Amino acid sequence: MSLKNFLLLITLSLAVTVGYAQHDGHDDKPTHQEEVTHDDHQQDGHEKPTHDGKSEEGQKAHPEGDEGNDATEEDEKISDIIIHHIIDNHNWHITDLPGGGEIALHFPWIVYSNKTGLVFTSDAESLVEKGMVAVHEKPYVLKDGAASHIHLDHHTGQAHMDKKQMAEYIDQDAFVINLSITKTVFQMLLIGFILVLVMVSVARAYTKREGEAPKGLQSFMEPIIMFVRDEIARPYLGEKANRFLPYLLTLFFFIWFANLFGLMPFNSNIAGNISFTAALAILTFLITQFNASKDHWIHVFNTPGVPWWLKFGVPLMPIVEVIGLISKPFALAVRLFANITAGHFMVLGLICLIFILGQGGNYAGGFGIAPLSVGFTIIIFCLEMIVAIIQPFIFTLLTAVFVGMAMETHDDHH
Amino acid sequence: MFLLQEAAASFAGFGYMGAGIGAGLATIGAGMGIGRLAASSVESIARQPEASGDIRGAMILTAAFIEGVALFGEVICLLAVLIK
Repeated sequence: MSLKNFLLLITLSLAVTVGYAQHDGHDDKPTHQEEVTHDDHQQDGHEKPTHDGKSEEGQKAHPEGDEGNDATEEDEKISDIIIHHIIDNHNWHITDLPGGGEIALHFPWIVYSNKTGLVFTSDAESLVEKGMVAVHEKPYVLKDGAASHIHLDHHTGQAHMDKKQMAEYIDQDAFVINLSITKTVFQMLLIGFILVLVMVSVARAYTKREGEAPKGLQSFMEPIIMFVRDEIARPYLGEKANRFLPYLLTLFFFIWFANLFGLMPFNSNIAGNISFTAALAILTFLITQFNASKDHWIHVFNTPGVPWWLKFGVPLMPIVEVIGLISKPFALAVRLFANITAGHFMVLGLICLIFILGQGGNYAGGFGIAPLSVGFTIIIFCLEMIVAIIQPFIFTLLTAVFVGMAMETHDDHH
Repeated sequence: MFLLQEAAASFAGFGYMGAGIGAGLATIGAGMGIGRLAASSVESIARQPEASGDIRGAMILTAAFIEGVALFGEVICLLAVLIK
């Protein structure tokens, strides 16, 4: 049953893949970058010694990566384009229009900081009036009088700053929380809404057609739900499986839908966001610990079969066990995040290959590599479709294994 | 001090090289691990075909663990390239 199920999903995935491969060619941003990234690296290298201690601090405080780019740099690098497609954004940019406009959905900025209080503005540009500025999708508090020195990008309403300018104009001590509904959050709500629609209609079908054969969407979802129950929940949780089945099913379908939406055109890959996967992993961690048996805690703090001085004299074993408790959800979060991010990097990298080889009007290079690029992208997409279903399976399975292990009592061992 | 900084600046490309080599090493490790896993699972399925369902489940679970370690390597390589 499970194998048939997988094959069906893969076939369905292929249909979506073909649609996406056509879309990928639309990405017109890389075409206008004539300069190769080589020169930029050299510039970066020579500038480094001029940085003072302050800017070093600024760099450490915001280790997310892309703030370090040159402000003067007009052309985007290939790596910036790839990152732009992967990271979270404050607007849902669909495409640029040939006339100069764009099709995009702009989300409001809702930012709290201890210096300015709660700031609510419709776009990044008007943040400056409230004493804040957005740099590379991140809000910062401006120093007094710095607002007049800031040059905003007319397109995004955000500022381009290098480390030196950041140190000069931005209040590094301010405590900033970004509560905006970003692309990822919006996508997550959208997926949740679709999931509720689908599942409620399936659940309603069971009450309406009680005792009859499943039909339509119901017969598509039933084998998957049965798979989660029979292959994941029951073998590892035993008779308590029904108690955890709602959580396991929610995890499975939420991650699966998130992955599938992430592979569709114009959608955001929310499973490639570490905050999303970390939140799910923390939920798993809490559920595991709150359902743990007494023997689980005895095993952590008073491990049987270990010399007493390793537990109470030199508390090595409890430390190791606690690290073990934390590393499990950590691995869970990083596994999902890295799998999805790696897939998207591969696809974007292969597509960008066309524009790297086609740089400077080299049409032969661009057109020559294009069939190869698209072909490889389709192969990677097929792989990603399998990953999209394997990853929620593994996440759910490991959740069931961890909860089952923690619930195990001493009597269960034989 | 200035000399050190100058040296660090001119060796900046080594970060990219390190990331590339690191990604390669992580891939070799994961490839060896999953290869061994697949070899012995196929062998055991051949010996005992009726247990293939259980073996497949254990195989996917273990493959996820091996892959997880490789992906840690990949994330670190990404960080090495992306954080300037």
